[in-house]
Parts: sequence; C-alpha cells; structure tokens
Amino acid sequence: MFWHGFIIGSIVVFILILAYRIIRIASLPVHLRWELAPIPHERDRSKYGGSYLEVYEWWQKPRKKSLTAVIKYMAVEILLLRAIWKHNRALWPLSLTFHAGIYLVILAILLSIIHALVSIGGATSELLLDIAWIIAITGYVLGGLGVVGLILKRISNEGLRPFSSFTTYFNLFFLGAVFLTGYMSWMKAENLAADMSLIIKQTLTLDNAINISYPLSLHIGLSLVFLIYLPMTNMIHFIAKYFTYHEIRWDDEPQDAKMTVKILGLMKQPVGWASSHIKTEEKKNWADTSSGHEKT
Amino acid sequence: MKKLKLTDIAANENTPLTELNIDELIPLPPPYDRAGDLPGFRQLTEDQRQRLVCNLDGVVSYAGLPKPENEAEKKKYIEQFLGGLKKLLDKENNWTFLQPLILSLDYCAQCQTCNDACPVYLASGRNDLYRPTYRSEIFRRLIDKYGKTGGKLRARLTGKDIRLNWATITRLYELSYRCNLCRRCAQACPMGVDNALITRELRKLFSQELGWAPKELHEKGTVLQLEVGSPTGLNPRVAIDNLEFLDEEFSEATGIDVKTVWDKQGADVLLIHSAGDIISFPESPISFTILCNAAGINWTLSSEIGGYDGVNYGLFYDDVQLARVAIRHAEIARKLGVKKIVMGECGHQHKAFITVADRVLTGDLNIPRESVMTFLENLVFSGKIEFDPSKNDFPVTLHDPCNVVRNLGIVEPQRRILRYLCPQFREMTPSGVDNYCCGGGGGLSVMSDVNFTDWKVNVSGRMKFKQVLEAFADVPGPEVNKYVCAPCLNCKLQFRDIFEHYGAKERSGIICGGLAELIVNAMVDIKTPFIKWFDD
Repeated sequence: MFWHGFIIGSIVVFILILAYRIIRIASLPVHLRWELAPIPHERDRSKYGGSYLEVYEWWQKPRKKSLTAVIKYMAVEILLLRAIWKHNRALWPLSLTFHAGIYLVILAILLSIIHALVSIGGATSELLLDIAWIIAITGYVLGGLGVVGLILKRISNEGLRPFSSFTTYFNLFFLGAVFLTGYMSWMKAENLAADMSLIIKQTLTLDNAINISYPLSLHIGLSLVFLIYLPMTNMIHFIAKYFTYHEIRWDDEPQDAKMTVKILGLMKQPVGWASSHIKTEEKKNWADTSSGHEKT
Repeated sequence: MKKLKLTDIAANENTPLTELNIDELIPLPPPYDRAGDLPGFRQLTEDQRQRLVCNLDGVVSYAGLPKPENEAEKKKYIEQFLGGLKKLLDKENNWTFLQPLILSLDYCAQCQTCNDACPVYLASGRNDLYRPTYRSEIFRRLIDKYGKTGGKLRARLTGKDIRLNWATITRLYELSYRCNLCRRCAQACPMGVDNALITRELRKLFSQELGWAPKELHEKGTVLQLEVGSPTGLNPRVAIDNLEFLDEEFSEATGIDVKTVWDKQGADVLLIHSAGDIISFPESPISFTILCNAAGINWTLSSEIGGYDGVNYGLFYDDVQLARVAIRHAEIARKLGVKKIVMGECGHQHKAFITVADRVLTGDLNIPRESVMTFLENLVFSGKIEFDPSKNDFPVTLHDPCNVVRNLGIVEPQRRILRYLCPQFREMTPSGVDNYCCGGGGGLSVMSDVNFTDWKVNVSGRMKFKQVLEAFADVPGPEVNKYVCAPCLNCKLQFRDIFEHYGAKERSGIICGGLAELIVNAMVDIKTPFIKWFDD
C-alpha cells in the first residue's frame, strides 16, 4: 500500500497547499485600481490598447466586453509565451522549449489517466496509449533540453546571473531530474504510457498488485516529491498570473454598490503609519485620516 | 561600466555605487551626438559630498535626507524602515495595494524581460543600477528576510542575504526616485509583476513611516496644496488674480472676449487645471476658456483651496496624501453641484482621480470624471466651432503621457483631433500604449534639488528626446518650426528642461505645448496666430 499512500497523499497535499495559497491571495483586500493597457476585453479597442474611457461621458454608455478576446489572449500567452516573444526574444526559444516539455508531460499524464478510467470499465485503446507514449517522450526531451538551456543561459548571461539564486538553480535541477528519470523510464519500458496507465488504474482501484520497477519508481517518486514542493514555491506563477492579469492589470471595473460596501469596511480600519503627517495622538481610521489634513 | 552585484547596495556607505559618464549613455542623433558640445553633469562639490547623503550615483534628489551623527541614530532609522516594511505587508495599513504588492514580490521569475522595456536603463547604456529589477529584487529579499517567518535563516541558506544598514536604506530611497513609474516594465512582464508598483511602495514606506519624501512632492507639494491651494504656492486670491490678468491680456491679443468662469453653482462641468499651467504655460488654461465659451459649455473653475489645481502628487509616493487630495477635489465638486468633473491636461491627475481614487470616493463623492481628451474631442467635432487646419500647417508630433495612455487606455481621441487639425502630424516610434515616458514621470519632472535636473535631462529624458528628434528627422534644422504636443503639465515641464538643456529651440526649432493651444490656433475666429514661436 506504500505506493497508493504516496501517490494519493502527494496529490492531496498538493491540492491542499495550492488551495491554501490561492485562498490567501484571493482573500486579500480589494485594492485601489491599477489597470494597465492594453486590456483585451475591450472589444474594438484592445488592438491599439484603447479603453472605455475613450468614450465621451462613458458612464452613460453601455460597455462592450469580449470574453473570447481574453481567452484568445491568455491562450497565446500561456502556450506560446507572447510576452517573452515580444520583449525578450533571446530567451524565448529556451523558455518555450522548457514550458512545452512541461505541457506535453502533463498532457501525457492526462491521457494516461483517461486510459486508466476507460480500462476500469473494461475497455482499452492502444491508439490512445501510443499517442500518450509519443507525447511523453517529446515532453521529456523538450523539458530536459529546456532545463539545460536555461541553466546554461543563467550561468553565462551577465544580466541573468546576479538574479539567479540557489533556489532558481535548485528548481531547474529538480525539474531536470524529473525529465531525465522520465526519459530513462521511457527508454526501459515497452510503452511508458501503458505502464503509467496501469499504475493509475491500480491506484484508483486500490489494487495491491501494484509494482513499480526502477527507473520508473524513481521517476514517479521524484515527480510526487516535486508535486508536493511545487505549491510552496513561486513556480505556481500559473496561478498568480490569473490574479496579476485579471485582478490587477485588467480590473477596470468602476465602483459599484457591492464594491462600495467593501471599501467602506476597509476605510474603517485604523491607520498605523508613523510619519508626522499621518500619526495623531488619537488613532484614526482611514476615512477620518483621508478626509482631513493633519498639520505636519 | 562597473558591474554591480545585489549585495553592493550595503557596501561602503559613503561611496557612490556608480558614477555616471556621459560617454556611456546611448548616443543622440546629430547635432546632439558629440558629448563635448553639450553641457555635462553638474558634479557635486566637495562640500556637498560632505554635507549630503550621496552614495548612489553622484546625483542627489533630496538634500533633506538626514545624515546621522552616530550609530544609534542610524539604528533608529533602520528600525523605522523595518517597521514600515512590516506595515506594507499588513491588511490594515496597506489594504490599498497589498494584493498587487504581494503578487509582484512573490512571483517574479527573474527572467529580466522587463529590463529592455525601461527607458532609463536603456538610456543609461544599460547601467546595472537602473535595471527595474535591481531595486525590486533587493527590496524583495529584504522583505523575505525581515518580513516573513524564518526569513533570516532562509536568506542565508539560499544565498539571498542582503544586509540592512544605513547604506542600504539611503540608497534604496534615492534609487526609488530613479524610476518614472511609467509601467513599461510591467507591460512587458510575462508574470504581470509590476516593478513600478514595488518602487512606489518603497517610496510610500519612506514617506508614510520615516517622513522621507522629496520636498517638491510633499512639503511643497501635497502639503502646500491642501493648506494653501496649490504646490505652485498660488492661493485662491492669487489664482483668480492671475487668470483675470491673463483673461485681459489674451482678450487684447486675440480680439475676442476671454472670460474665465469661477465658482458657478450647478455648472455642467467643473474643469480642474494644473495650476502650474497658469504660471508656466498660461496659454493652456486660456485655451480652455476660449474653447468652452465658444462652444457654449456651461462650465466653471473652482476657487476653493485645492480646487483650481488638479495635480495629486500623492499618486507618486503616499496613499494618505493621495486620498486627501482626491477627496478634497470631489468635495469641491459636490459643493458646486456640477454634473461632471473634467481633468485638465495633466496625466497623473487623470490616473489619480479617474481610476486610482475611484475606490476611495464613495457615495455622493463619486461624481462622474472625464478625461480632457474625450471632452476636447467632443468639442472639436461638435460643429459649434469653425476650424481652419491650414493654420496648423507645421510639423507636429504627439507625446503620450503614460498616465493617460498606458495607464488609462485613452489613445485615440487626441489623435483624431490632431489628424483633423494638424496636416503635418506624425507619430513617434514607438507610440500609444508602447510610448516612452518623457523622463519626468513619477513626480520627477517637478523635482530639481541639488543636481537632480541634470540626471533628468541626461538620463531619464534621453530616450524621449531621441524619439522627438527622430520624429522630425525630415526637417531637422531650426528654420522649420516644430511642435511637440504634450497634453500633460508634468511632461511639458520635463520637455522644457530637456529643450533648454540641449538648446533644442535654437538648434532644432522645437517647442512644446499642449493640445488645447493647437485647437485654438486652428480656430477661424482667432485672427492672429495663437501659438507663439520663439522668434515671435
């Protein structure tokens, strides 16, 4: 039952820590508006970075927003790394290779899960396993190359080197080890995706016959430890990015009744800053401090 | 150029980290390409070096920075810094920007993609000190070390240890005023990390906890505005007198009756100019008076303290001052019972009042606020005023104030006006939301302590000056009058400093002015040219 516990436990820990961090970010107070053009949901205007504030007496006009444009923008950003392509072309090939490796490995795992679920029902699909098998090796190779490339780039580039810490390299080496052991497992296995699918099925059905041989055991072990480690690091920028884009850059909603309630609550909080233009003998809240001017 | 390490910030507290050398800056087009022909940096005197805190780059932006006489005094300031650092991470003291700050601190991937988006870093010849990430990463590491549980041990184990001492905090203070807060770096960041915001939060810590802020922004900025009426020092009586005098002068010059409206109860529009325009660019407020009257708009200015000056320097360094100024403006509008407030030609007023303060102005203080760009566009195309674009038949380019364009997405209205009224209008490259800052953003344009102006015109304004010259590359000589339209007071002040420094009027025939002046210049009813060139 070791593997069952290890696999399920790792996934549960991953979800719990990730959820905790998401809740921590989401529960931070409403902030002042800090949007930044271009905002893709601005239908007709996002192409040149325009916003609804370009409309005369905008508060009397209906807003035209496009969810499709947002999805399209984010898809290109996530899959093709638009910002790095546009602003850091020299890094783009390495970063894309690295991220493509991650995406493909995740895709291979998802296909293996699908096959495991199907096989619990008694069916099987060689085609699905073959596709997952090809995707997996492509992912391991690209991911591994990306890791090597990024490590070399960070060591050799004068701009990157001073900002690359022990943690930066540790994370890259850790992911590199996951890709390397995945590659080794793929080489040894007849069809790695089939083996993975079987392990997933045995985990889901709590089948005691589960038996994982080296080097796949090392690969799965490392991957699960990485899964636990991941949400404790800044590598969960895939989550943070939702907030930095949707909740800050693209948050251009004017104040409404619901927002007013939140703001009034926040303005009741005490102000504890110590500068003479703020501090008073009697501790004031934000509403009082903002409405009057204390002599400096 | 000396390569810098992050840990250098804490070393040798009396020695500058870097010394600026004009030859290392990016070259300008002819005739500004020979450094020897240009005025250089004013070097600090030996007396200044002894008297002032000068340990960053040979430039001092704030002579008022204290110089402790002993270790105990230094320790006191370091303790204050640490206190402020913790308040920045606190939901009560920093609800205003806590989420954006935490996300920007915690999720930088250290890819340095933002670096080449920064006009200061580029103009400096890629000096490490001016990387948007240099100050941010140091501040991030200090927060990780001192603001989080187990931070000191983690800093040591991961090699991210930055010493916090007198050198660190004074250099961070100065360095926070080597950024225009233009947010070009934020726009480039794949993660959505905002180094400009981190810089602003750093300024805020110094202002709100230690009381350190440039005198032009605080003591002679927001404090003066709230107490007297304007950072220019104009009190209500003097502001009215000045505009009455200008009304008379321009009535005589233009042949039409120029009459500024004050304190009209129930007007449709409360127009809030930057009072600096009254003093430095008087044709700007007068243009608005002419246009509003000609279009039959029911408008007014306010003579309440603070009501005739729309600037809000709090945006650059202090949330409390930001809120106080914004609330003052809204209270004045409420008292007058106006239907809407129209921003003057002032970028940071737009951002501070239209969007940032939107979540401070509640209830009946939340009065509709409109950009001057849409207001003017509506006025120009209303058909109420007759124009003759041939009166503006000279080369015109447009500077995009970051706070209007990149930060609010107001891009096209001003362009539609210029395309209609200026036959020789041409864009700079890049332009619109990708524009470069004038170099005076983030409050820098009004800061002029010690030798700071030299830094502004040589470094932060360099990319913009280069852009302007390139936009007029087909007519480079002084024989052709050229106009940089900068619809923002702070940008105009920065252009004025740049053009004076390089002699751009004399050598290239370039002047800078606002948008409203170009519109008035094209009015059929204005018989003599409204725009005054330097040889007029």
